[in-house]
Amino acid sequence: MSQIDDTTVANLAKLSRIAVTEQETKSLQKDLSKILDFVELLDELDLEGCYLCNQIIKDHKHLMRDDVVKDLLPRDAFLKNAPDHMGGMVKVPPIIKKD
Amino acid sequence: MNYEDWETVVGLEIHAQLNTKSKLFSSAPNSFGDEPNTNITTVCTGHPGTLPILNKEAVRKAVQWGHAIAAKIAPVSRFDRKSYFYPDSPRNFQITQFDHPIVIGGTITCLVNGKEKTLTLDHTHLEDDAGTCRHFNGFGGVDYNRAGVPLIEIVSKPCIGVTPKEITAYAKMIRAILHYIDASDCNMEEGSLRIDVNVSVRKKGETELRNKIEIKNMNSFNFIEMAIEAEVRRQINLYTKNPDKSQDELVPQSTFRWDPESKTTKLMRLKEGAEDYRYFPEPDLPSITLTQEYIDEVAKGLPELPFERNKRYMEELELTLDQSITLTQDKKLSDYFEEALKTCSNARNLCNWIIIEFQGRFKDTGMTLYESNILPENVAKLVNMIDSKKITGKIAKSVADDMVAMDGKDCEVIVDENPDYQPVRDEGLIEKLVDQVLEENPQSVEDFKNGKEKAFGFLVGQVMKISRGKASPSLVNEILKKKL
Amino acid sequence: MYEKTATELQHLFVSGQLSAVEITNYFLNRIENIDKKIGSFLQLFPERTLRKAKELDEKKKSGGKLGKLAGIPIAIKDNIHIKGERTTCASKLLANYEALFDATSTRLLEEEDAILIGKTNLDEFAMGGATEYSAFLKTHNPWNLACTPGGSSGGSAAAVAARLAPLSIGSDTGGSVRQPASYCGLVGYKPTYGRISRYGLVAFGSSLDQIGPFAYTTQDMALIAEVLGVHCPHDSNSLNHPKENIQGQLKQDLKGVRVGVPYHFLTNLSDEMKKSFDASISVLKNLGAEIIEINLKVLKYAMPTYYIIATAEASTNLARFDGIRYGNRNQYAMTLDEVYDLTREHGFGAEVKRRIILGTSVLSSGFSGSYYKKALGARGRILDAFTTSFESCDLVVMPTAPTPAFETGSIQDPVSMYLMDLYTVHANLTGLPAISVPSGFAQNGNPIGFQMIAKHRQDGFLIGCAHAFEQARPENIQIPSIAKEAV
Repeated sequence: MSQIDDTTVANLAKLSRIAVTEQETKSLQKDLSKILDFVELLDELDLEGCYLCNQIIKDHKHLMRDDVVKDLLPRDAFLKNAPDHMGGMVKVPPIIKKD
Repeated sequence: MNYEDWETVVGLEIHAQLNTKSKLFSSAPNSFGDEPNTNITTVCTGHPGTLPILNKEAVRKAVQWGHAIAAKIAPVSRFDRKSYFYPDSPRNFQITQFDHPIVIGGTITCLVNGKEKTLTLDHTHLEDDAGTCRHFNGFGGVDYNRAGVPLIEIVSKPCIGVTPKEITAYAKMIRAILHYIDASDCNMEEGSLRIDVNVSVRKKGETELRNKIEIKNMNSFNFIEMAIEAEVRRQINLYTKNPDKSQDELVPQSTFRWDPESKTTKLMRLKEGAEDYRYFPEPDLPSITLTQEYIDEVAKGLPELPFERNKRYMEELELTLDQSITLTQDKKLSDYFEEALKTCSNARNLCNWIIIEFQGRFKDTGMTLYESNILPENVAKLVNMIDSKKITGKIAKSVADDMVAMDGKDCEVIVDENPDYQPVRDEGLIEKLVDQVLEENPQSVEDFKNGKEKAFGFLVGQVMKISRGKASPSLVNEILKKKL
Repeated sequence: MYEKTATELQHLFVSGQLSAVEITNYFLNRIENIDKKIGSFLQLFPERTLRKAKELDEKKKSGGKLGKLAGIPIAIKDNIHIKGERTTCASKLLANYEALFDATSTRLLEEEDAILIGKTNLDEFAMGGATEYSAFLKTHNPWNLACTPGGSSGGSAAAVAARLAPLSIGSDTGGSVRQPASYCGLVGYKPTYGRISRYGLVAFGSSLDQIGPFAYTTQDMALIAEVLGVHCPHDSNSLNHPKENIQGQLKQDLKGVRVGVPYHFLTNLSDEMKKSFDASISVLKNLGAEIIEINLKVLKYAMPTYYIIATAEASTNLARFDGIRYGNRNQYAMTLDEVYDLTREHGFGAEVKRRIILGTSVLSSGFSGSYYKKALGARGRILDAFTTSFESCDLVVMPTAPTPAFETGSIQDPVSMYLMDLYTVHANLTGLPAISVPSGFAQNGNPIGFQMIAKHRQDGFLIGCAHAFEQARPENIQIPSIAKEAV
């Protein structure tokens, strides 16, 4: 896995929604290869039967909130930050329908 | 084309919006139909520096759903991030439950053509809804009101050898259950209930499942039935006409929609390879841990469910299958019926008056009986009046019309105030009518004297006929008996 | 006035010897004159700052109750929200983004009457170790302008080191508070994960991020840590730990404290750094601590584990920056795809793009997706190793960074840059509280830091021990000459 080629970099950039240039792709390819070599160090570890540690403070109880409406964001404040808006909606170039 | 050699395989995937007051991870209002971007907070619009906080009521409704379908409630479940870029996604990742859902398994039982059928569910999980994109000429508009609304996604196991009717029956039962436990508005037009099906076919005897396609967002049960039928035919035709081609060529992974005009399924898009959603555990939310006490407590709050109510109506109240299903499919309607039943003992008649006579009168008004001002006790009174023969069935129909027109006026008052509704009690007049009928129908008199009970009823009917339904049925009975 | 600690300043204000407006003007003046050489601040909002100072003076006059931080100017890293002011994260993408709410931290500071004096420079989106990746400004180390102040909270560190504000807050995901603290001769503290709320901090690595303060002294650190370390209902990972009296836990000695040292981990240090570290161990011994050798060999895997988890989380946390709802949408974008692709291509700097793409790759099932699961497993192993160590010791110590501050631009290779976090990432991976205290100077005059790590929720104990260490070597607290320049 240590050799990551330009095509893979290009695909990853596409997934990440970043329009990298050819030049960037080349330097990314070098950098990512180096970083991934370094990451391969984990292969040395025997992680058989290891629990997936995605919660470090183990006895932390989940916080839940009451079903109450509050802290509304007024539309004006929301649209003020929007690069483009119309009729109360955020405006974007035509969207290719998903469904 | 021999369809007999083939069997249908269908999987159901239903997204139901939970009817909580606020959203799943944001305290914005959970409400449909308002001005765009008026039901939002910084959390559900994905502003930087915001964090999700779980709505405890959404968890409770999901757990109650789990109990209603006799599923296993996971004591520990977890949220995951599902990444994809789209304008209606405020963070460009959805928070869902990928491999540790809150409800595992479960079954849906319902009656199809009188037979009990059971659907096995795989799991139900919680996730947040996306906003809505509106498409205009030359641009798109995004509204985040719906972004963050709590959803439960109900996923069934593949049903092998199932009929489209069964699938819609299961879907209807799921909707009814969600209504009964007050978890969702289940409004298919508004999008609070979204039904997708996966459809494949295979030759009977095959052990492996063939490729399936997805049909999305059909917003009526009729459409679902028709779409499955059409798709099954389409796939069988493809396989039969192209015996040399592979299933990957003929039925590649894709998404279809139902086109009501052409009555066919239409391809929306091909799924080129599985989309890489890059699922991983949501670090902003600790696992949901539920104690046994909590799980048991939520179970206590479970109301009578549609299938049980259906059974009770048929066994205890002796309603027919059709009557029962019509009532139980709509919780509010059957609640109305139960309320009326408190003051009326004739369940069958009451049921018919509710589901046929009154609902029929409201059919095109866009309103339902239980939304109107006609109280259940009022309908009960009407049925009681018919049973006690105070008024005839015919008069009752006019009274019903008046009850609707007069916005729920008490039926007894209506009858008292309208002389036309008073059955004729003049004994002398009735006697004359009875005499007339006896004269005109000698054969029936003869039949009755010879033991034919039915003839009595016929003669009563004749008297009612010539009195134009106005004679008091009890008096007619009395007098006729005397005379015979 | 710049020689006064935060604690001293608050007393001077409360006793009436200085007014809030006086203090504020003094520091704003210092910033105006000295910061042009250092570049620690990205934004100042003097109108707001002075207005708040005036209000505080009025409050004092009318006899209102004064907060624990009354009159103290505090600098805020520009990835933490102050409502109504811009939060740029040192990125072109958010150059004009106005915060819609106060971060819990900034709100808590203002509730205690602190004066928020400005937003400081950082590596873009907190990704970096030298504050070289800011889109707007390079920050210089006040001890040696040719050197970096460290990163990513370089601006917050430099501001306090140059005595432009007595306190500041930054964020620490892999060492971004502790490492700059050590490079700048300051106390820098990363709390137990969840101790300080992340609400209002622009997320980088959700399970790793914590807001951390910079201070001259451990006394000042205890003061600000008390204010910030409270439960927050807007952060699901916020600990339900009650408010702590940390100032009351400051120790004078370390009698009975067992200190664990993972010597195996320190073999690659330069002679100078080794000498400095050994001297620090002697200090601990003289204070009465028992020194124990511990095994943390699994730390060999901490760096790759950290980079996998941090970049995976970051790639999703930064997905929201797409120019749709806020931020600078690329002006040439004609199609929706271009809105995403061009906004992000031109809005993000090279390091950010590198990390996002790396993060995407470690999560991508087709590519190296199994590495994420491996990293979670390794993370558990690392936590277990510390748990075991903490059975035989109360503190784990090591240097904060492998070297003192390095010259700006001297590290170009990303992997070499990442290795600067060698001694800091595991405290983020495990969520353990950690602190860096000044422990001397290198031959070239650059400060060196000494790091202590304690068990979960032992933040008060940690800062208390750091205090004893500091008191034993008061000469480690110095002021750089640039700060002493006439203004």
